[in-house]
Amino acid sequence: MMDWGWQFRSDSNVSLFFSQPMTPTMTGVEEQEKLLEDAVGVVKVQAFQMKHCLDKSRLMDALKHASTMLGELRTSLLSPKSYYELYMAITDELRHLELYLLDEFQKGRKVADLYELVQYAGNIVPRLYLLITVGLVYIKTNPCLKRDLLRDLVEMCRGVQHPLRGLFLRNYLLQCTRNVLPDVAEGVEQEGTVSTRERFPGMLLLQVRDSIDFVLMNFAEMNKLWVRMQHQGHSRDRERREREREELRILVGTNLVRLSQLETVTLDKYKKLVLPGILEQVVSCRDAIAQEYLMECIIQVFPDEFHLQTLNAFLKSCAELQNGVNVKNIIISLIDRLAAFSQRSDGVGGPGSPSQLQGIPTDVKLFDVFSDQVATIIQTRQDMPPEDIVSLQVALINLAHKCYPDRVDYIDKVLSTTVQIFQKLNIERLEYNSAVSRELSRLVKIPVDNYKNILTVLKLEHFAPLLEYFDYEGRKSLAVYIITNILDNETLIPAQEQVDAVLSMVSPLVQDQPDQPTIEEDPEDFAEEQGLLGRLIHHFKSETADQQYMILSAARKHFSTGGNKRIKYTLPPIVFQAYQLAFTYKSLKDQDDMWQKKCQKIFQFCHVTITALMKAELAELPLRLFLQGAIAIGEIRFDNFETVAYEFMSQAFSIYEDEISDSKAQLAAITLIIATFEQMSCFSEENAEPVRNQCALYASKLLKKPDQCRGVSTCSHIFWSGKSIATGGKEMQDGNKVLDCLKKGIRIASQCMDTSVQVQLFVELLNHYIYFYEKGNAALSVQILNQVIAKIREELPNLEVSEETEQIQKHLANTLEHLRNRMESPESEGPSYQGLVL
Amino acid sequence: MSFFGFGQSAEIEIILDGYDTRKTADIKSEDGKKERHLLYYDGETVSGKINVSLRKAGKLEHQGVKVEFIGQIELYYDRGNHHEFTSLVKELARAGELTHNTVYSFEFANVEKPFESYTGSNVRLRYFLRVTIVRRLSDIVKESELVVHTLSSYPDMNNPIKMEVGIEDCLHIEFEYNKSKYHLKDVIVGKIYFLLVRIKIKHMEIAIIKREITGSGPHTFTENETIAKYEIMDGAPVRGESIPIRVFLAGYDLAPTMRDINKKFSVKYYLNLVLMDEEDRRYFKQQEITLWRKGEKSRKSQSASPHMPSHLVSAETGFPQGVAPNGPPSGGSGPEAANSISGTEEIQAPIEGMTREEGDGEGEKETSPENN
Repeated sequence: MMDWGWQFRSDSNVSLFFSQPMTPTMTGVEEQEKLLEDAVGVVKVQAFQMKHCLDKSRLMDALKHASTMLGELRTSLLSPKSYYELYMAITDELRHLELYLLDEFQKGRKVADLYELVQYAGNIVPRLYLLITVGLVYIKTNPCLKRDLLRDLVEMCRGVQHPLRGLFLRNYLLQCTRNVLPDVAEGVEQEGTVSTRERFPGMLLLQVRDSIDFVLMNFAEMNKLWVRMQHQGHSRDRERREREREELRILVGTNLVRLSQLETVTLDKYKKLVLPGILEQVVSCRDAIAQEYLMECIIQVFPDEFHLQTLNAFLKSCAELQNGVNVKNIIISLIDRLAAFSQRSDGVGGPGSPSQLQGIPTDVKLFDVFSDQVATIIQTRQDMPPEDIVSLQVALINLAHKCYPDRVDYIDKVLSTTVQIFQKLNIERLEYNSAVSRELSRLVKIPVDNYKNILTVLKLEHFAPLLEYFDYEGRKSLAVYIITNILDNETLIPAQEQVDAVLSMVSPLVQDQPDQPTIEEDPEDFAEEQGLLGRLIHHFKSETADQQYMILSAARKHFSTGGNKRIKYTLPPIVFQAYQLAFTYKSLKDQDDMWQKKCQKIFQFCHVTITALMKAELAELPLRLFLQGAIAIGEIRFDNFETVAYEFMSQAFSIYEDEISDSKAQLAAITLIIATFEQMSCFSEENAEPVRNQCALYASKLLKKPDQCRGVSTCSHIFWSGKSIATGGKEMQDGNKVLDCLKKGIRIASQCMDTSVQVQLFVELLNHYIYFYEKGNAALSVQILNQVIAKIREELPNLEVSEETEQIQKHLANTLEHLRNRMESPESEGPSYQGLVL
Repeated sequence: MSFFGFGQSAEIEIILDGYDTRKTADIKSEDGKKERHLLYYDGETVSGKINVSLRKAGKLEHQGVKVEFIGQIELYYDRGNHHEFTSLVKELARAGELTHNTVYSFEFANVEKPFESYTGSNVRLRYFLRVTIVRRLSDIVKESELVVHTLSSYPDMNNPIKMEVGIEDCLHIEFEYNKSKYHLKDVIVGKIYFLLVRIKIKHMEIAIIKREITGSGPHTFTENETIAKYEIMDGAPVRGESIPIRVFLAGYDLAPTMRDINKKFSVKYYLNLVLMDEEDRRYFKQQEITLWRKGEKSRKSQSASPHMPSHLVSAETGFPQGVAPNGPPSGGSGPEAANSISGTEEIQAPIEGMTREEGDGEGEKETSPENN
């Protein structure tokens, strides 16, 4: 669009920029050059003679030469490009004549005679060029005849019906008259007009209306000629013809520019005279190229303030355009312009500032007008492809958003219209990446993008139904888009219904779809999508705890339908949210008497949820969740907490037993269980005892020796730092049990066949020893440490040189270094390291 | 005259009254050269003086001196016979002797000059004065040409010429000339309205044709001469287009229409509307117009406001200011007009045939009128 303004600004000297050289049917490029060269040659000679005669004041001879020169414009052999060049050369020369005549007539020569005289010329093309030239001088010297002369000229030009010659002739007329067109508002008297009136009573004052009539008439005629080009010549030349027409279009468009330049054309005049005149011509010419160009032209050359007040007329005409016309582009262009205008005017003057530009006047129901007219257009233009219809809706929605940011109902209206259109078109599914689908997804993304708040989007009743028209792929990508939007904008969704709505909207991610293709998705992509869902859950956040509970159960209802491959992504966040909620209740315990019951309910909820994960043959995940839950319960301590926590622990154990068979996983799981239990202090001895023993038992029952060793040594910690109600929340510090465990560890390590592993285990055990020793376990002594160190020293040289060995040595060295430090600078309350042999 | 160098001889000079103030007019002589003579109108007195100067001293014997005012028609194919339609004689002197240079005054009072001077291709109508000194052997004769213009008053009836013509399924046009009678400095204003165009028109012109008909019966000679060709349209119009016509007659060498002058000849003028198609076929329709000569004085008073020259066409009607349009052909300009033409069926008046002529330069062949 940018080039528009530019082309028009430079129109004072019509600039036609032709593309590649065109060739009329009969001549090639070279021939064109030759023809043009010859013609220009004649022009030069005649122009010279003309000027010579003018110098000698032999006007009649000069006119004869001018006429001969102009005779060159009678040619039919030149392409538009060449003709244009010839035209430019000739009109350039005519300016000399014009200046001479102006000079002469100011000295008092009679123009009227000359105006008659030039009409004796036998050939019409030179005659009319001369007539225009003389007519202009006549107008300048006799302003009172202006109206009649203008009418006469524009009327006489009808004699040239040849499109190319006619277009250029009328362009010459338009160029010549551009400075003499009356531009005086009605009722406003210019200086001197009074005397004019006295001198010529009965002579009407020239008004801008005359200019409008003049230009409109010229425009209509030029447009007819331009359109006619389309229908002349062979159909095989059609492409060339259309290209040539494109190149000539600015000649037609200049008329509109001229109209737009009339300063006294008020809105009222534009509405009543200018626009109807143009539109009538545009519609009645029934030519797609012309209609598309001219409508665009109208939008671009006239001010937005005018457009705002004439929308109905303009849009009505749009509905009447030819089938081939891309009405969509026209309307979109107008909408974009007006939308930009409303934004601009808002930006210029702030509210209350005196210079505030009035944006969209309140009496202009911009949206309603567009909405109605677009509907009419869609209805009347049956051939319009659905994607174009949707594009129009996109434009409408943009308009609504930009001009009426507060009117959610407008947006919804557009969506509803779109739904209706699809119903009418009997469209049920849009194939992914089809044109319609692409347009529609543009449409639905607009509210998402603009509001940056899914909650507002949810207010749009027809948003979700519209999503249904996409096929699986389309819905899924939109679901991803919507979720990403929520995440990026950190929108919190605070109500159960909203959660329901959002999750239904993104259902292609939440659960299997009936129209889902059977092909397996890329697991990475799938994980990423589900990850988004997981993140989404953290945005389900209500102000009140009860509400939050509702949200979570609603969400779970959705997610539990997702099948095994999804729930591992979606349920854990729910569980964590639930745990968090339980903590919230605890913090609210002063305000909510029921908090304990509610917490219990939450943990029941979690239990069920985690069990669902178990059923999905997942092991580690539910195990962790149970353990996490146990910790949470331990901390919250509602009524009956111990039983529940014990249940959670035992569930973890049973998962360990039933589901985890891989040795590595087992080690990891038992380590996790031990670590969890070590953290907890909520059990009475009655419950703590079996758990502890079970831990020790499982640790020692691990399949591989190194695993056993590590498990047992880890287990030692629960006997030291483990807490229970019996200990009153303090560490139990059963030194002997610890020592037992560690000894067992040494024993198991000794059974390892691989010395490298053995030594590694010893070093690890040494660390455990040291840890407990430092913690003040009385059952340990320096001697025991020395034994372990000695054992390691004994075995170490037997290791082959390898990376592992190096690592073990390093580990040992670090450990010993630590001991050395302790020996050298013992802590005041720490145990003594006396007698330690390093 | 004196062939043998002896005897008295005399020089005759005719000096018309007002020779230095009276208007003159050009007329072609028989050999095509332009001559300029004093101009007279019907009923004007022709008077003057005749100087007879003797060549030598001595007397000149004569049988009488007379002056004649003669209007005559000469048909070129019949050189021997001149048809005098006016012949007036004045006796200037009785038979006697001239002894010295003598001046005679003469006057033909309010002489009737019914026809206009004319030089055509087959006929000439001229007025002249002839002074004759009658002698026994050979008369001394002197002739002096004068030009007569006949003035007409404004015609009572001057209807526009309006006609729908065409060739079936090929070309239908409606043309209109604002008058049927034009004075010689008049402007023909009109328009062509295209009702049906199925041929590729290249251009259209108006030709002014002068037709001179001499003789009668089997000895009738017709001579057509194209006085002017004036292009009024370039390119191919489409249905609904209306093309303005404006032809200034002042630029051409024209004379008034003459009908059956003294039963010897007629001069008629025709406007020939010619359309040329891309295959150089010509389609034309001739329409007679009457030309008349307007008096100088009345012309002045006729011209409208000095600020509104008559040669401007008013945009609405295509007619000069002040002339009542006799109903412009089917609306005017504007795009709606172009679309509102609903075919040729509506047209009730029978369409008169146009003449189509192949582009081989053969003569005109009138086709029979097609009555639909």
